[in-house]
Amino acid sequence: MNEWLVAAAAMLVLLAPCGYVAMRGSPEDRLLGLELGSVITAMALLLLAEGFDRSIYFDLALVYCALSFTGTLAIVRFLERWV
Amino acid sequence: MQLLSCLGVILMPNLMDRLHFLTAATSLGPAFIAGAIVTQEALNHQGIFAVLIAVFLLCFGPVLTHATARAVRIRRHGDWRGQPDEKVHRT
Repeated sequence: MNEWLVAAAAMLVLLAPCGYVAMRGSPEDRLLGLELGSVITAMALLLLAEGFDRSIYFDLALVYCALSFTGTLAIVRFLERWV
Repeated sequence: MQLLSCLGVILMPNLMDRLHFLTAATSLGPAFIAGAIVTQEALNHQGIFAVLIAVFLLCFGPVLTHATARAVRIRRHGDWRGQPDEKVHRT
């Protein structure tokens, strides 16, 4: 287990507070937890890719970044208009 | 950096204060991690992808933060522009 995997494990631990924020409070608070959680997940994927030394996994992190950005933006617009 | 942002998001009482901590997590943390990967790997396929991810988050993280703040303001006041009877704190 190299240092990259240790950092990735730390990122996965940090997902727990994001889940806590996403499960309580108003919809805006939950959205904030989701945004932070998606960034931390992308960083965990990046660190796992470097830790396992598989360059194809970097594509996964990049695609996850793009998809989470569009998904969260769609939720923001939905909250703004209809909820 | 990500740990500090998580703590800030949990501990701050106001939603707008939490948004500031979210911006630190989306801009500085990925830049540091990409810097570490480039230092390890140089600018090969992995390093370029790490830089791409950091640049993507650096560009679009503030867009998301702005959109969130705008949505919160519209939900609270009905419009994102300032209201005539709204108190504005000027320094």
